[in-house]
Amino acid sequence: MDNLELLKKQWQSREQELPKLSYTDIHKMLLKKSSSIVKWIFLISIGELLFWTILAFFVPESSKAINDSIGLKTTFMVVNIVHYIIFAGFIYLFYKNYHSIKVTDTIKELMRSILNTRKTVKYFVFYNVGASILLMLAVNMFYFTKKDQLYKLMVQNYEGYGAIPQESFTSVFFISQLVISVVFVGLIILFYRVIYGILLKRLKRNYCELEKIEV
Amino acid sequence: MNKELEHSFVTQLEANQNIVHKICRLYTNNSDAHNDLFQEITIQLWKAFPKFRGDSKFSTWMYRVALNTAITLYRKSKRTVKTQDFEGVSFKISAEAYDDTVEEQLKLMYSGVKSLNDIDKALVFLYLEDKSYREISETLGISEVNARVKMNRIKEKLRTILNP
Repeated sequence: MDNLELLKKQWQSREQELPKLSYTDIHKMLLKKSSSIVKWIFLISIGELLFWTILAFFVPESSKAINDSIGLKTTFMVVNIVHYIIFAGFIYLFYKNYHSIKVTDTIKELMRSILNTRKTVKYFVFYNVGASILLMLAVNMFYFTKKDQLYKLMVQNYEGYGAIPQESFTSVFFISQLVISVVFVGLIILFYRVIYGILLKRLKRNYCELEKIEV
Repeated sequence: MNKELEHSFVTQLEANQNIVHKICRLYTNNSDAHNDLFQEITIQLWKAFPKFRGDSKFSTWMYRVALNTAITLYRKSKRTVKTQDFEGVSFKISAEAYDDTVEEQLKLMYSGVKSLNDIDKALVFLYLEDKSYREISETLGISEVNARVKMNRIKEKLRTILNP
């Protein structure tokens, strides 16, 4: 006889060797907290939303003052409004995605909706990183065209800058801006690689396996 | 109302717990992970229970949620080592048919099944549970024909594991 058939025959009779939980054991479990992948992705996503929102509050007053006096006030206001509209759009998508995750779907559908959810979060991060880079580039280019005025303002607002002569100010200022941006983006990319890499590796592998069956 | 729901849920799960234990056995390698997965499946079942309308059997609905949890939602703990724990696995064979080599073969077969990937394992599990290909395809979300083809391939794979 086929060995799998043999195993199938014995499969049911093995049941008495399985652990037996009592009514109370099971009842107690209902109070425990879930630790499913979806819950983790959800928590991390909320963390991401908070992170980008809070970050906006950390722009120091002095740099706001500089931007105001250099003539970027209206530009920044428009950029902010656009940003928050897009942000609201993401929150809506985000909510809709989580709503669509149902544990009673087929295995394939469930995996697809989790991966889709993850994709939305990924786009959100791409958008944030991309927008930050673009904004940073644009602002620095603008600064560059007005570097004399910028130097005066910087000396006014930060005492340390007075020690730097105007000739070397341009290179010191823009190189430090560049280094900070690169480090910042690098850290964010690393963070996502590690966190979601861990969470989604198995899910992706299994999803590909199912896709393969259908080909 | 909530108490009633709770009672009805726990009673039904208690009666059908073997299904969940079998899945836990297949997808984990030690008793800690087994209990961990059992608990996660219980929570997922409980969360989905209010939407369970009773148009299918409780056990049928359970297969889907439990397998979904094992394959999709459960995060394998880091402690999971790649050793297979056979102590919990022995096969009762009726006295007249008892044969050491049969017992050996069954163990080998079971370890073969355990070594399959998550998806193949789910297919074999449902097959061993005597589910129809229709039910298998509806649980996994693939077509019936493909489930059949895949199952034949897995059988072939298991045969080579057993008779190298």
